[in-house]
Amino acid sequence: MTKNLVRVVLVAAFFFSEGTGFCAAAPSHIDLSKFPATQLDEIVVPLPSEVFNVLDKLGSPNWQEQLRNPVIRNTGERAQIALLLGSVVAEGFVAVEAADKERVKQIGRDVLELARAIGVESTVLSRTNSIVTKADSGDWATVRQELDGALTDVKNAMIELKDDQLAHLVSLGGWLRGTEVLTAVVQKSYSPDGADLLNQPDLLRYFQERIAGMPPRLRTNRLVNRIQKGLDEISPLINQKITPDSVKRINEITGQMVKAIDSRA
Amino acid sequence: MRRFLILVGFYALIAPVQASLDDAIASAVQAMEPYAKLGYTVRDDEWGGDLGVREQKAIPHTLFKGNDYWFCMASDAEGAHVAIHLYDSKGKLAESDSWQKGRFAAVRVLPPATGTYFIIVEVTNSPEDRTNWAMVYGYK
Repeated sequence: MTKNLVRVVLVAAFFFSEGTGFCAAAPSHIDLSKFPATQLDEIVVPLPSEVFNVLDKLGSPNWQEQLRNPVIRNTGERAQIALLLGSVVAEGFVAVEAADKERVKQIGRDVLELARAIGVESTVLSRTNSIVTKADSGDWATVRQELDGALTDVKNAMIELKDDQLAHLVSLGGWLRGTEVLTAVVQKSYSPDGADLLNQPDLLRYFQERIAGMPPRLRTNRLVNRIQKGLDEISPLINQKITPDSVKRINEITGQMVKAIDSRA
Repeated sequence: MRRFLILVGFYALIAPVQASLDDAIASAVQAMEPYAKLGYTVRDDEWGGDLGVREQKAIPHTLFKGNDYWFCMASDAEGAHVAIHLYDSKGKLAESDSWQKGRFAAVRVLPPATGTYFIIVEVTNSPEDRTNWAMVYGYK
């Protein structure tokens, strides 16, 4: 009996030590300033579908009203094309929400054209073909995945080409158009939950830092400079309680930036 | 030539047991599969690297209230144990669910507010000095 008890205690002790070593419960609170973990250099930039997924749940905005129809030209400076590429992908999500097949198909073709202009056409060819095909059959879930995938593939291709700066501009273009749409939707029917979606100060700071760290040639580009100023204007609005007035103002600023991106391409 | 063949043969013997980052990514994607079947959209991208035992890495990420996220982490090193947890910007544990099974671990979060969260990944035990790890995530 005593022998068995000792055995049970020993086995339990073994598993307990294994448990504390491998499966220790996570502390309920950590001091991030003193935390020993090193941080990955870059914040994870959410995909447009992560925002649109939530917008879906907030109600049924008039998405057709949010659709824009810029004329896409694939000539111009690479910085503008990169910004435009991101913005057009975000536009694709609006077109999906509006269930506008023709617009989605056109956006698929635009993405391919813009990718061609910056030398990463082959990376997105199968994605854009799929966007066109799936839009025809109304498979919106797949179209969303392909739009997200096209954005990721373009950015990764640019990073492989040592063109990280342009990759950041693609992300930024998508974020700007996404934020313009988000604020337009929230503005139409303000709710604290809707406004809460704009609580992205670290993401904004990340984009500001990326631009600040660009080589002077790119940073002083007229469009990039304008975008930088726009982000600086948005920053105080996002770093405080987001009111209906600040939503309106962020919408105006991002709208102007998106127009500037379109007009220079 | 004979020496070369011996070397090639030796490499062929040891290559399968050398875990690579690609293998870690494949394992993380594998851990995510059940969630994809539950309707989570899996982001076609991954984060990873290598960590020493007890070394942690923080991955900052903007999460949106209204989404339901699962983050899966894996290593391909046999005998390794990994852990993943999620904290809000004030350092408060924010996860709704989590599990660990040897070289696989996952955490679920339903963000109570939109904002920056910190995903903390850790290799808690491993037979290797540096252990490859990868993380993928999905949301719905």
